Amino acid sequence: MTATVEHDQVLSIAQEVFSAMVDGDLGLLLPWEGDLPEIDDALVAWVDLHGEWSGRAVLVTAGPTALELARVLLDLDPRDEVSPDDLVDALGEIANVVGGNLKSLLPTPGTLGLPHVGDALPPLDGAVRSQHLPLSWRGRLLVIDVWVTPLVLKEKP
Amino acid sequence: MIRVLVTDDSRVMRQIVVRTLRQAGYDWDVREASDGVEALAAIKADEPDVVLSDWNMPNMTGIELLHALRAAGYQTPFGFVTSEGSPEMRAAAESAGALFLIAKPFTPEAFREVIDPVLA
Repeated sequence: MTATVEHDQVLSIAQEVFSAMVDGDLGLLLPWEGDLPEIDDALVAWVDLHGEWSGRAVLVTAGPTALELARVLLDLDPRDEVSPDDLVDALGEIANVVGGNLKSLLPTPGTLGLPHVGDALPPLDGAVRSQHLPLSWRGRLLVIDVWVTPLVLKEKP
Repeated sequence: MIRVLVTDDSRVMRQIVVRTLRQAGYDWDVREASDGVEALAAIKADEPDVVLSDWNMPNMTGIELLHALRAAGYQTPFGFVTSEGSPEMRAAAESAGALFLIAKPFTPEAFREVIDPVLA
Protein backbone atom coordinates (compact mmCIF):
# COMPACT_ATOMS: atom_id res chain seq x y z
CA MET A 1 0.00 0.00 0.00
CA THR A 2 1.29 3.46 -0.84
CA ALA A 3 0.88 6.72 1.06
CA THR A 4 -1.03 8.22 -1.83
CA VAL A 5 -4.68 7.83 -2.67
CA GLU A 6 -5.23 6.91 -6.28
CA HIS A 7 -7.94 8.23 -8.58
CA ASP A 8 -9.51 4.81 -9.08
CA GLN A 9 -9.61 4.17 -5.33
CA VAL A 10 -11.53 7.40 -4.75
CA LEU A 11 -13.92 6.58 -7.60
CA SER A 12 -14.47 3.10 -6.22
CA ILE A 13 -15.20 4.46 -2.72
CA ALA A 14 -17.60 7.08 -4.07
CA GLN A 15 -19.47 4.53 -6.16
CA GLU A 16 -19.71 2.11 -3.25
CA VAL A 17 -20.98 4.84 -0.91
CA PHE A 18 -23.65 5.98 -3.37
CA SER A 19 -24.64 2.44 -4.26
CA ALA A 20 -25.10 1.34 -0.63
CA MET A 21 -26.25 4.57 1.05
CA VAL A 22 -28.07 6.54 -1.60
CA ASP A 23 -29.19 4.59 -4.62
CA GLY A 24 -29.39 0.97 -3.55
CA ASP A 25 -28.00 0.17 -6.95
CA LEU A 26 -24.75 0.48 -8.87
CA GLY A 27 -24.34 2.58 -11.96
CA LEU A 28 -25.99 5.87 -10.92
CA LEU A 29 -22.68 7.58 -10.09
CA LEU A 30 -20.33 7.73 -13.06
CA PRO A 31 -17.37 9.81 -14.24
CA TRP A 32 -18.61 13.08 -15.77
CA GLU A 33 -18.39 13.10 -19.55
CA GLY A 34 -17.79 16.29 -21.51
CA ASP A 35 -17.36 19.92 -20.50
CA LEU A 36 -17.77 20.86 -16.87
CA PRO A 37 -20.57 23.35 -16.25
CA GLU A 38 -20.22 25.97 -13.53
CA ILE A 39 -21.77 24.89 -10.25
CA ASP A 40 -24.24 27.60 -9.27
CA ASP A 41 -25.39 27.93 -5.68
CA ALA A 42 -22.70 25.44 -4.60
CA LEU A 43 -22.72 23.56 -1.33
CA VAL A 44 -19.48 22.09 -0.03
CA ALA A 45 -19.13 19.26 2.49
CA TRP A 46 -15.75 18.22 3.85
CA VAL A 47 -14.05 16.16 6.49
CA ASP A 48 -10.42 16.47 7.56
CA LEU A 49 -8.03 13.60 8.19
CA HIS A 50 -5.22 14.05 10.70
CA GLY A 51 -2.11 11.98 11.26
CA GLU A 52 1.02 11.09 9.31
CA TRP A 53 -1.28 11.39 6.29
CA SER A 54 -3.23 14.60 6.65
CA GLY A 55 -5.70 15.98 4.20
CA ARG A 56 -9.31 16.55 3.39
CA ALA A 57 -12.12 14.78 1.54
CA VAL A 58 -14.45 17.23 -0.18
CA LEU A 59 -17.82 16.95 -1.88
CA VAL A 60 -19.11 19.85 -3.99
CA THR A 61 -22.46 20.06 -5.69
CA ALA A 62 -25.18 22.51 -6.62
CA GLY A 63 -27.83 23.34 -4.04
CA PRO A 64 -30.67 21.61 -5.94
CA THR A 65 -28.57 18.43 -6.29
CA ALA A 66 -27.80 18.49 -2.57
CA LEU A 67 -31.53 18.79 -1.86
CA GLU A 68 -32.24 15.81 -4.10
CA LEU A 69 -29.51 13.81 -2.37
CA ALA A 70 -31.03 14.61 1.03
CA ARG A 71 -34.49 13.59 -0.20
CA VAL A 72 -33.18 10.25 -1.41
CA LEU A 73 -31.19 9.62 1.79
CA LEU A 74 -34.20 10.45 3.96
CA ASP A 75 -36.55 8.49 1.71
CA LEU A 76 -38.71 11.59 1.15
CA ASP A 77 -41.21 12.28 -1.58
CA PRO A 78 -39.89 14.61 -4.34
CA ARG A 79 -42.37 17.28 -3.22
CA ASP A 80 -41.39 17.09 0.46
CA GLU A 81 -39.54 19.99 2.02
CA VAL A 82 -36.01 19.31 3.27
CA SER A 83 -35.08 21.25 6.38
CA PRO A 84 -31.76 23.15 6.39
CA ASP A 85 -30.54 20.90 9.24
CA ASP A 86 -31.32 17.74 7.28
CA LEU A 87 -29.64 19.14 4.16
CA VAL A 88 -26.43 19.85 6.07
CA ASP A 89 -26.63 16.53 7.87
CA ALA A 90 -27.14 14.51 4.66
CA LEU A 91 -24.36 16.15 2.66
CA GLY A 92 -21.96 16.07 5.62
CA GLU A 93 -22.62 12.40 6.25
CA ILE A 94 -21.76 11.49 2.65
CA ALA A 95 -18.46 13.39 2.98
CA ASN A 96 -17.90 11.68 6.33
CA VAL A 97 -18.35 8.17 4.92
CA VAL A 98 -16.16 8.95 1.90
CA GLY A 99 -13.48 10.36 4.25
CA GLY A 100 -13.73 7.38 6.59
CA ASN A 101 -13.24 4.96 3.73
CA LEU A 102 -10.29 6.98 2.41
CA LYS A 103 -8.75 6.80 5.87
CA SER A 104 -9.11 3.02 5.83
CA LEU A 105 -6.84 2.93 2.75
CA LEU A 106 -4.00 4.71 4.50
CA PRO A 107 -1.02 2.76 5.81
CA THR A 108 -0.80 4.63 9.12
CA PRO A 109 -3.42 5.25 11.80
CA GLY A 110 -4.85 8.72 12.15
CA THR A 111 -8.02 10.47 13.15
CA LEU A 112 -11.02 11.65 11.21
CA GLY A 113 -12.60 15.01 12.05
CA LEU A 114 -16.30 15.73 12.13
CA PRO A 115 -17.97 16.72 8.86
CA HIS A 116 -18.61 20.35 7.95
CA VAL A 117 -20.86 21.92 5.34
CA GLY A 118 -20.76 25.44 3.92
CA ASP A 119 -20.94 27.44 0.74
CA ALA A 120 -17.15 27.62 0.32
CA LEU A 121 -14.17 25.54 1.32
CA PRO A 122 -11.98 27.13 4.01
CA PRO A 123 -8.23 26.98 3.38
CA LEU A 124 -6.20 24.05 4.67
CA ASP A 125 -2.64 25.19 5.36
CA GLY A 126 -0.47 24.53 2.34
CA ALA A 127 -2.64 21.68 1.11
CA VAL A 128 -2.82 20.84 -2.56
CA ARG A 129 -5.57 19.06 -4.43
CA SER A 130 -4.30 15.56 -5.24
CA GLN A 131 -7.45 14.12 -6.78
CA HIS A 132 -10.31 15.78 -8.63
CA LEU A 133 -13.24 13.67 -9.69
CA PRO A 134 -16.11 15.34 -11.52
CA LEU A 135 -18.93 12.79 -11.34
CA SER A 136 -22.42 12.46 -12.71
CA TRP A 137 -25.04 11.43 -10.17
CA ARG A 138 -28.26 10.76 -12.05
CA GLY A 139 -27.00 13.23 -14.67
CA ARG A 140 -26.21 15.98 -12.14
CA LEU A 141 -22.67 17.22 -11.53
CA LEU A 142 -21.10 16.31 -8.22
CA VAL A 143 -17.38 16.74 -7.56
CA ILE A 144 -15.25 14.79 -5.11
CA ASP A 145 -11.79 16.15 -4.33
CA VAL A 146 -9.00 14.90 -2.11
CA TRP A 147 -6.58 17.46 -0.65
CA VAL A 148 -3.23 16.48 0.84
CA THR A 149 -0.88 18.42 3.10
CA PRO A 150 2.78 19.01 2.12
CA LEU A 151 4.09 16.50 4.68
CA VAL A 152 2.57 13.68 2.69
CA LEU A 153 3.77 15.07 -0.60
CA LYS A 154 7.35 15.18 0.68
CA GLU A 155 7.12 11.49 1.53
CA LYS A 156 6.03 10.50 -1.95
CA PRO A 157 8.69 8.49 -3.78
CA MET B 1 -39.07 -7.93 20.95
CA ILE B 2 -35.42 -6.85 21.01
CA ARG B 3 -34.92 -3.24 22.09
CA VAL B 4 -32.11 -1.37 20.36
CA LEU B 5 -30.56 2.04 21.01
CA VAL B 6 -29.22 3.58 17.79
CA THR B 7 -26.61 6.25 18.55
CA ASP B 8 -25.30 8.62 15.89
CA ASP B 9 -24.88 12.39 15.74
CA SER B 10 -26.35 12.34 12.23
CA ARG B 11 -30.16 12.10 12.16
CA VAL B 12 -29.90 11.06 8.52
CA MET B 13 -27.58 8.21 9.43
CA ARG B 14 -29.79 7.10 12.34
CA GLN B 15 -32.67 6.92 9.92
CA ILE B 16 -30.60 4.89 7.46
CA VAL B 17 -29.52 2.50 10.23
CA VAL B 18 -33.13 2.03 11.38
CA ARG B 19 -34.27 1.48 7.79
CA THR B 20 -31.48 -1.02 7.19
CA LEU B 21 -32.40 -2.94 10.36
CA ARG B 22 -35.94 -3.33 9.02
CA GLN B 23 -34.65 -4.29 5.56
CA ALA B 24 -32.45 -6.90 7.25
CA GLY B 25 -35.56 -8.37 8.85
CA TYR B 26 -35.10 -7.12 12.40
CA ASP B 27 -38.45 -5.92 13.65
CA TRP B 28 -36.96 -4.30 16.73
CA ASP B 29 -38.14 -1.63 19.12
CA VAL B 30 -35.91 1.36 18.32
CA ARG B 31 -34.78 4.28 20.46
CA GLU B 32 -32.30 6.90 19.31
CA ALA B 33 -29.53 8.99 20.86
CA SER B 34 -27.47 11.72 19.20
CA ASP B 35 -24.16 11.27 21.01
CA GLY B 36 -22.42 9.21 23.69
CA VAL B 37 -23.58 11.40 26.56
CA GLU B 38 -27.22 11.05 25.55
CA ALA B 39 -26.79 7.32 24.96
CA LEU B 40 -25.18 6.74 28.35
CA ALA B 41 -28.06 8.51 30.09
CA ALA B 42 -30.62 6.57 28.05
CA ILE B 43 -28.96 3.24 28.86
CA LYS B 44 -28.74 4.02 32.58
CA ALA B 45 -32.40 5.06 32.60
CA ASP B 46 -33.65 2.01 30.71
CA GLU B 47 -31.08 -0.54 29.52
CA PRO B 48 -31.75 -1.76 25.96
CA ASP B 49 -30.94 -5.26 24.68
CA VAL B 50 -28.32 -3.93 22.27
CA VAL B 51 -26.59 -0.67 21.36
CA LEU B 52 -25.60 0.22 17.79
CA SER B 53 -23.29 3.21 17.90
CA ASP B 54 -21.34 5.48 15.62
CA TRP B 55 -17.68 5.97 16.62
CA ASN B 56 -16.90 9.59 15.80
CA MET B 57 -19.36 11.86 17.64
CA PRO B 58 -19.15 15.17 19.51
CA ASN B 59 -19.33 15.31 23.34
CA MET B 60 -18.63 11.60 23.85
CA THR B 61 -17.39 9.25 21.14
CA GLY B 62 -18.66 5.72 20.68
CA ILE B 63 -15.53 4.11 22.14
CA GLU B 64 -15.73 6.45 25.16
CA LEU B 65 -19.36 5.42 25.58
CA LEU B 66 -18.42 1.74 25.53
CA HIS B 67 -15.63 2.27 28.09
CA ALA B 68 -18.00 4.29 30.31
CA LEU B 69 -20.64 1.57 30.13
CA ARG B 70 -18.26 -1.21 31.06
CA ALA B 71 -16.71 0.92 33.83
CA ALA B 72 -20.20 1.45 35.24
CA GLY B 73 -20.83 -2.31 35.21
CA TYR B 74 -23.16 -2.48 32.18
CA GLN B 75 -22.55 -5.48 29.95
CA THR B 76 -25.07 -4.32 27.32
CA PRO B 77 -24.30 -5.97 23.95
CA PHE B 78 -22.64 -3.28 21.85
CA GLY B 79 -21.78 -2.94 18.16
CA PHE B 80 -20.25 -0.10 16.16
CA VAL B 81 -21.66 1.26 12.90
CA THR B 82 -18.96 3.60 11.70
CA SER B 83 -17.45 5.15 8.59
CA GLU B 84 -14.04 3.77 9.48
CA GLY B 85 -13.25 0.07 9.47
CA SER B 86 -9.46 0.04 9.81
CA PRO B 87 -7.79 -2.94 11.49
CA GLU B 88 -6.69 -0.66 14.37
CA MET B 89 -10.26 0.44 15.05
CA ARG B 90 -11.59 -3.11 14.82
CA ALA B 91 -8.94 -4.21 17.33
CA ALA B 92 -9.77 -1.29 19.65
CA ALA B 93 -13.48 -2.08 19.40
CA GLU B 94 -12.95 -5.74 20.17
CA SER B 95 -10.63 -5.13 23.10
CA ALA B 96 -13.16 -2.68 24.58
CA GLY B 97 -15.82 -5.38 24.42
CA ALA B 98 -17.74 -4.61 21.21
CA LEU B 99 -19.39 -7.58 19.54
CA PHE B 100 -18.89 -6.29 16.00
CA LEU B 101 -18.03 -3.32 13.82
CA ILE B 102 -20.07 -2.58 10.73
CA ALA B 103 -18.35 -0.18 8.33
CA LYS B 104 -20.35 2.43 6.44
CA PRO B 105 -21.53 2.21 3.76
CA PHE B 106 -23.42 -0.96 4.66
CA THR B 107 -26.11 -3.19 3.26
CA PRO B 108 -28.87 -5.22 4.97
CA GLU B 109 -26.75 -8.30 4.21
CA ALA B 110 -23.80 -6.79 6.08
CA PHE B 111 -26.09 -6.24 9.09
CA ARG B 112 -27.33 -9.84 9.02
CA GLU B 113 -23.83 -11.25 8.63
CA VAL B 114 -22.63 -9.79 11.92
CA ILE B 115 -25.86 -9.48 13.92
CA ASP B 116 -27.38 -12.92 13.28
CA PRO B 117 -24.56 -14.89 14.91
CA VAL B 118 -24.55 -12.83 18.11
CA LEU B 119 -28.13 -11.73 18.67
CA ALA B 120 -30.81 -13.34 16.58
